[in-house]
Amino acid sequence: MNSIVRSSELSRRAGLNLKQVHVRWLITLVVACGAIIVFFPFFWMAVTSLKTAPEIQRVPLQIAPDNWLNLTNYIEVFKREPFMRYLLNSTIVASIAAVSSVVVSSLAGFGFAKYHFPGRDFLFLAVVGIMMVPFQSVVVPLYVWMNDLGLLDTYMGIVAPDLVSVFGVFLMRQAIEMIPNDYIDAARIDGASELRIFFLVILPSVKPAIATLLIIKFLWSWNEFFWPMVVISSPQMKVVTMGLMSFTNMYFIEYNLLTAAAVISILPILLIFITLQRWVVQAVVMSGLKG
Amino acid sequence: MRQWFRIAFPKNYLDRRKRAGFLFVLPALLFFGSVFVLPLAQSIMYSFYKIAPGGAKEFVGLRLYEKVLTDPTFWTAVGNTVQLLLFSVPTTVVLALAVALGLNRITNLRWRNVWASMYFLPFATSLVAAALIWQWIFDPVYGFLNYALSFVGIPPQKWLQSLVEVRPAIAAVSVWVRIGFDTMIFLAALQSIPEEYYEAADMDGASAVQRLRYITLPLLNPQIIMVCILELIFNFKIFDQVYATTQGGPAGESQTVIMLLYDTAFKYFRFGDASVMAVFVFVTLMLVTLLQWRLFRKPVEY
Repeated sequence: MNSIVRSSELSRRAGLNLKQVHVRWLITLVVACGAIIVFFPFFWMAVTSLKTAPEIQRVPLQIAPDNWLNLTNYIEVFKREPFMRYLLNSTIVASIAAVSSVVVSSLAGFGFAKYHFPGRDFLFLAVVGIMMVPFQSVVVPLYVWMNDLGLLDTYMGIVAPDLVSVFGVFLMRQAIEMIPNDYIDAARIDGASELRIFFLVILPSVKPAIATLLIIKFLWSWNEFFWPMVVISSPQMKVVTMGLMSFTNMYFIEYNLLTAAAVISILPILLIFITLQRWVVQAVVMSGLKG
Repeated sequence: MRQWFRIAFPKNYLDRRKRAGFLFVLPALLFFGSVFVLPLAQSIMYSFYKIAPGGAKEFVGLRLYEKVLTDPTFWTAVGNTVQLLLFSVPTTVVLALAVALGLNRITNLRWRNVWASMYFLPFATSLVAAALIWQWIFDPVYGFLNYALSFVGIPPQKWLQSLVEVRPAIAAVSVWVRIGFDTMIFLAALQSIPEEYYEAADMDGASAVQRLRYITLPLLNPQIIMVCILELIFNFKIFDQVYATTQGGPAGESQTVIMLLYDTAFKYFRFGDASVMAVFVFVTLMLVTLLQWRLFRKPVEY
């Protein structure tokens, strides 16, 4: 069967006429041009961050900076704003969100995938249904809660609504469902407790899903803006996205500094993203194909 | 009830196991209950009360709904949001579909990955950073876009500062951020379509357009609907991009629903009014999602 498919594929490829080859090149060209356009803003941001204020106001516009190693804007960013502190705040918040998400989601995923308690299917549906509730619809009561609990302007306050996401529960359930029941039963026969099974059987078998969730949750939390704007008021508690806003106002923006700050805010996440892209794509596809 | 009692106080092994399962999901349930379900109920409740700054509540029935829903500012914001949506959602979905179809035809895997990653990169950036970079590109005097357009003879435009162009310009930022995400979903779906279908179509002498029309698009239907719904929800909740750049201006032309909600709640501290908007957003998105689901979802068999 397989060889038949392959041979027909081969004959099809061999049968490509000149016109088809041209079409293929054209498609590649269009796709590549689009990719370059999409990538351009990153390039432009990086280039602008290396220019001086007079340079970016040159007419006609000049693409390359005079000095490719001009890092004065970056130094200035750290001088003007406690940007290190912002980076630290974002790192703390995103790490807590990612780790707590993995812990709670994998526990819940295990419960939903491998146990038959009454009301399980209803509860799972209810959890999925929560995806329909926009965060903006619950933000006012959450703010009141944070105020009552004294969590305004604290790390706990920023991270609180981010500790678990429906997506995480969904992802972990999906992954844990794939583990054969025999493994779990074998552990039970050996006398392992349910919690021990979770740590020694379940978690090691779903490492890819854990990696995926860690990355995507870190990314989402790092890029969060709306909720931090609501809970944070003091400068030293700001996260990176809010810190970026310090370089912009309605009347006059120093774009050379702003782009330097933007590079600083994007770079860590972009590096993580590029090196671990495989996992992120997996998460996106997961959320897409099962929707 | 008895069943639950038995599981809460298990006497045998199987019940104990069921209790363990329930305990595993309990933290997540408590979290979602306290962060989404309860606050949603509170939002609905707040929308019927007038709340004084001290915290004193007074039941006012539908008065706040009447007030907000007859306020022209609110409907302008809704109108702006819908216009933004109409620019960005179809553009994103169509472009993403086109890119995915193109990527799928590239046979060199290494290059395909390179191009795909480039489309996917904006997904990693924060909306704030994305919007600010674009604001610089859109700059009327020193911006790159006007510079590039000058080569094809288009005079400088004001983009984000123009009453007419501000919404398409903001929509472009949303398209840029989201295109990679949608492309990835489409690409994965395209790759799961069995090759045999196309071979059969080839034997029947189907043209490329026919193959797209009668095989690819019908099989992609679930993903297209889902992506449309996701984009609709994402774009209806637009906030970061607007807040970071125009703050709703010029002259309120880019004021959106969530911007208004944010200002009402956290600038003017009118929680009641904001809650009416919160309920409005929830109900609208719910209805739109359910409607799209009902109208367009067809069962697909591979």
